[in-house]
Amino acid sequence: MHISDGVLSPQVWVSGYVITGALATYILTKKTDISEIPKLSVITAAVFVASLIHIPIGPTSVHLVLSGLAGITLGLAAFPAILVALILQAFLFQHGGITTIGINTVNMGLPALAAYGVFLAVTRTNIKGKYTIFGGLAGGIAIALGIALLSLCLLSTGEYLEYVVPYVVVAHLPVVAIEAIVVGAFAGFMLRVRPQLLKGYKPREVV
Amino acid sequence: MKHHPEIDKYAGLSSPIHNWDPRAKLIAILSLIIAIVLIPDLEIALVGLAIALTLALISRIPFSFMLKHMMWVIMFIAPLFVIVSLTPSGGIEHASLIAVKALAAVILIFPMIGTMRFDTTVKALERLKIPSKLVQMIMFAYRYIFVFSGEFQRMFTSLTSRGFRKRTNIYTLSTTGKLIGMLFVRSLDRSERVFSAMVSRGYDGNLKTLVEFEMHTADVLKAAILIAIAVALDLICFTVV
Repeated sequence: MHISDGVLSPQVWVSGYVITGALATYILTKKTDISEIPKLSVITAAVFVASLIHIPIGPTSVHLVLSGLAGITLGLAAFPAILVALILQAFLFQHGGITTIGINTVNMGLPALAAYGVFLAVTRTNIKGKYTIFGGLAGGIAIALGIALLSLCLLSTGEYLEYVVPYVVVAHLPVVAIEAIVVGAFAGFMLRVRPQLLKGYKPREVV
Repeated sequence: MKHHPEIDKYAGLSSPIHNWDPRAKLIAILSLIIAIVLIPDLEIALVGLAIALTLALISRIPFSFMLKHMMWVIMFIAPLFVIVSLTPSGGIEHASLIAVKALAAVILIFPMIGTMRFDTTVKALERLKIPSKLVQMIMFAYRYIFVFSGEFQRMFTSLTSRGFRKRTNIYTLSTTGKLIGMLFVRSLDRSERVFSAMVSRGYDGNLKTLVEFEMHTADVLKAAILIAIAVALDLICFTVV
């Protein structure tokens, strides 16, 4: 889901840095306390490790993205968390690129925030297994939005990338379903084991 | 899960890039990466690739190590190359330009990051005025990645020993989701203990390391040369072409 250096036009990756810089600064300075940093980092590392898991699809395999999972566990802080994860991926494992850290954070971080928003609706509904259902929705929506943003970046870079878009969409469609099931199962599990880790969980609520 | 060798495995070597001041090194090579990504012309991009390879050669990091780390970029670039070269408005030249720039940029990461210990890189980032909260998140997350990766490996081994096999089905996916949940619970429990230990040893939200940097004339000179090359690469394209 992340683009390497040299593909996108400067306009696209520079605006990526502008948006990421503004949003990450706002969330880290206004919405995050310094005492939360160790806990945030731990979840970031766990998401990072979990996103290296490969899921077999027939003869090939895909790796998880887990932007939705970051959203439902970290809330707004998912955005800087994804920034950190992408910096580490670019620096340590050469996944993605250096100039594209900003735009890749936008492409995965904004969907993570959307997933957080979707998951918060869990408090306003009252159906059986709602955490699993909303977790799944959040997981799937995050990937679908990510694909949309990624395609937008490719299309706005130039006409010569227009045929790359269908390839990207088809390659990522199975991931939407996969992440929906994985994140749904995750949310259901967390509800039983450590519910306070899920955003939008209310302790006194009868489930 | 794939095993990733550590990027700073060869930080202990000795070369003109290894003994370069980390701050100057980061800024200079970062400028070069940006300059190369901005090149609109294939021939100049090839010059950029040659410069990247030269720096990698000077750093004495083995090429086999770099190649292993570059598999993902190659897997990303290869289909892109094929599709763009077959697109009417693209063509082989456009596709090659993308591939050459992507390769040059990723090769430069090795002299930039691979020639110092990662905690030195993090310290240098802090000195370069990257916000402290972000730097600390990078540092903590980096420390934990290897711990959790081992933890996950153990959990997966115990699953496998009970007969679990990864297949293309819903059961595999929901088990993976629960496995990630378990990783979260264990990670957070551990992090709470570590955090208490840190606070009791005087952690107050500020980063403290034993590394001290000293900028010498040679460091500035190396940076100046590299940045001059970076600027020249772009200037050639925008004046001649």
